[in-house]
Amino acid sequence: MRRSLAGNAAAAWGFRLSRVQCYPYYPITPSTSCSEQVADWAGNGEMETVVINVESEHSAASAVIASAKSVRAGTATSSKGLLYMVEVLENASGASLPFTIFVGNRATGAPINIWGDNSDAYAVRDTGFIQLFCADGQEALDNIIQAYRIGENMAVRQPVFVNLRGFTGTHTYEPVEIPTAAEVDAFLPPHVPLEPLFAPERPVTYNPMLSAYYYRRHKRNQTEALRNVISIAEKVGTEFGERLGRTYRNFEWIGDPRAELVVALMGESSGAAETIVSALQGRESIPGLAVLRIRLFNPFPAREIAHALHRAGTKAIVVLDEGLAHGDVFPPLALRLSSALQAHLGSAVPQLASVIGGLGGSEIRPEHFQTLFNLAANMAQQRPYRREPYWLDIEEDPILLQDEQKVNPKLWRRYGEVWKNQPILPQYHAALPSTNYEIRLYGRAGQGAITSAVYFTSAGVENGFWVLTKPTFGSERRGAVVHTDTLVQTNGRGRTRSFTGRLDLVCIFDDTILTSPGHAPARDLKPGGTVVVNTVRYSPQRIRELLQLTDSATTVYVVPASRIARELQLGSFYNMVMLGAMHRACPFLDFEAAMNFYERNVPKPKEANQEAIRRGYLETTERETALPEPPPPDERAEAYFQWRPEEESLEEKILRSLEIYHGS
Amino acid sequence: MNRKRKRRERVIEWTTGQIPRNAKRDCGAGRETMGETESTNQHQQWQPLATCNEEKDFLVSGRLVFVRDKGAAQTPESLSPAPVVATASSRQHLDGDGKLLGFPVIPDPKVLERRSDLEQPPLVLSLEELARHSIEGLDYSAAMDQLADLGPEGRIVLYYRKGKLFRHEVFEDPRVCKDVERGAVVHNLEQKAQDVSGWRVHEFYIDSKGCLGEICTRCVRVCPESAIHLRGDGATSFCEIDPAACKGCFICWVECTRKAADCITIDGKVFDSQLRAAHFGE
Repeated sequence: MRRSLAGNAAAAWGFRLSRVQCYPYYPITPSTSCSEQVADWAGNGEMETVVINVESEHSAASAVIASAKSVRAGTATSSKGLLYMVEVLENASGASLPFTIFVGNRATGAPINIWGDNSDAYAVRDTGFIQLFCADGQEALDNIIQAYRIGENMAVRQPVFVNLRGFTGTHTYEPVEIPTAAEVDAFLPPHVPLEPLFAPERPVTYNPMLSAYYYRRHKRNQTEALRNVISIAEKVGTEFGERLGRTYRNFEWIGDPRAELVVALMGESSGAAETIVSALQGRESIPGLAVLRIRLFNPFPAREIAHALHRAGTKAIVVLDEGLAHGDVFPPLALRLSSALQAHLGSAVPQLASVIGGLGGSEIRPEHFQTLFNLAANMAQQRPYRREPYWLDIEEDPILLQDEQKVNPKLWRRYGEVWKNQPILPQYHAALPSTNYEIRLYGRAGQGAITSAVYFTSAGVENGFWVLTKPTFGSERRGAVVHTDTLVQTNGRGRTRSFTGRLDLVCIFDDTILTSPGHAPARDLKPGGTVVVNTVRYSPQRIRELLQLTDSATTVYVVPASRIARELQLGSFYNMVMLGAMHRACPFLDFEAAMNFYERNVPKPKEANQEAIRRGYLETTERETALPEPPPPDERAEAYFQWRPEEESLEEKILRSLEIYHGS
Repeated sequence: MNRKRKRRERVIEWTTGQIPRNAKRDCGAGRETMGETESTNQHQQWQPLATCNEEKDFLVSGRLVFVRDKGAAQTPESLSPAPVVATASSRQHLDGDGKLLGFPVIPDPKVLERRSDLEQPPLVLSLEELARHSIEGLDYSAAMDQLADLGPEGRIVLYYRKGKLFRHEVFEDPRVCKDVERGAVVHNLEQKAQDVSGWRVHEFYIDSKGCLGEICTRCVRVCPESAIHLRGDGATSFCEIDPAACKGCFICWVECTRKAADCITIDGKVFDSQLRAAHFGE
């Protein structure tokens, strides 16, 4: 069954299909909706599990550890929540307890940052947990099921983290294939408690105090069990592929099997890297390229990766870390790869550079990988490069020198010679052909722009398109300008998750955004793109002026969405009207086919919302819309907007405060 | 003497899984209609809720709510594991959010069944040990082949549920040091006692006259050092603490069915509230 799901919902399906029996949790952004979904299913009887609402992540971890002694258990967390669990996490791995924690990876601050990077996962890499990294929601679902199979293997019996990047992974709606319960049951046998807590005939003490002699002997056993994961995870991934059609390896080699230049990374950013590999592969003066996407981060399959690089004859490898290790030689992934190459390849080791990027939700775009492959090409030609990490998107400290004036003078003294010897190779920076139709919806928080995009995505998925929606999330208050990006894959191959940022369609839900300072909604519009605006105030010509659209090939549509919503008694909920307008402008999803989906799934009131979609589709026009009758003035609202505190006397202030007190 | 016999009877009921006649009813333990005695006991738990509802009475115990017709003598016949039992007649009192008196309602509560599978740890056997067993439902030749392939480290885990083989898995024992259990757990009844008497600052002693012996053995089961052993059998049996293996953790005292008042002595004294306060800093 293919459905449009956010990454968190896909993870929740993973727990549901794994028949998790106990799920203690404490909510934290961005993994909250995974736990909410599990709690919802448990509440309505769709999932037989005991959900425990605990008072902190520390308690959640304690409860999941306690329950894992007897039943199959799981939970989800992120960032500081995961760090709060750390104190008890080693009790799980030390006591050989298999369970799964889904981690919506998020920055750990300070300062506070709620967006995605791998800092939290890196911080717990020495807790003895198995760590799997996912590239999308589908992998989150599949990996959670596999995590139980791997962790519960009798040669392992260790807990697992399943990592998915926060927001761009956890909140992106995309097509996810949900296996049937029977398929998963055939793959994942029921949980067997090895040392159950409630066995009166065989009472057991967990975590007793051990002297140094026994302690070191136990830790030797523990590391041996963890080491078994490397072979078992590979077997489990292969069997999963045989049964469910999606094979998983400990690491994936994407691109030329004899790649000279390799970019290594983990997780969701591989989507953009794969786009670049397929676009640059085979071009003149470009050697073989590949992306090394690592799924199993802990235990690290060092020997296998080193041998894979050796077999391919790789000359240079650039490692992208989406997190830090303060003060270390390299960040964790680069450090592990570097150690692996040194330990297993000796003098035949390829050149290795480390790059830090994607911190705190920083976007990793395809053009970043053009730069990284350019850097790798320079390294392969024995040009000097840094032995310290590079940084993405720091203008004062670029990877390749474009403008010397912008470079920090202190860094110029340190790395000037390196920059001068690192040429920008134009063949790596050629413009990429677009294979996607990209839509951006601008709205104000609370207007339902994200809902429109999610409905559009779901209808597209049902009609066989590869569509995904990536909403922006953050600290925006109701009324602030937000946007959501939707991608329709148009070339019909693969599963791209990579947005180019060049837009084919911009839908503006509120015409005040046209004049809102700091926003240029049409800035990233492609030549020949389309703009749709909900307005009765502005003509298409005036919108062109406001958005500074000089390209005559650009089409501007207007739709009186607010007026239609009012006429249909929908109040200020005009997102369904805008959904219809999106269909008018987007050529890739047949409106009538999509209506089949909307008729079944639109929110209440169903008839009015269906009519809103139809009218939105029909009344979207390139012509000027007639101005409606001006609404009768609201005296109370006028008074509110006219009121100025400096014009109010003390007596009036007191009277006003009394009115507020009495609720008038 | 009579008091002691009564106490023993009560403990027998607990240990055999029967609900003592005068004990508080556990959630989901049974659905029998309560007798007068039980009803009296339940009234200590179920408090009537002050309400202006003219049709219904509400009885509350902790987070559980029982709804009955006004003035009916009906008592909570069964308690569900759900926070609230929503009977057909009570559903009309749900608020807009589907809650009753602010508590979430599960429409079709299921009675928790006793999870016998949690009481059955699996058997882990080597090839030689498996050969000595006769296990119904196991493909011996396949299991033996797999074990033989793995060599001396090969093990089979056999998991039973309701007396039948439910699942098995052949694996290679990941342990390098076989003297430490998986997860470094201690099997309390199998643990070879070690001399940890140097850890102890008090002397623990079980008074054989106060001890219930084989009908209890709670202290034997909970002792993390396997320092307590059952001596004798029948009515004369009693538990004894191995002074070399006891590290003085107080767990036996805390867990003692007799509440240790006249059973486990510490430094020759009954561990009374004063001594307890001095020890635990209360």
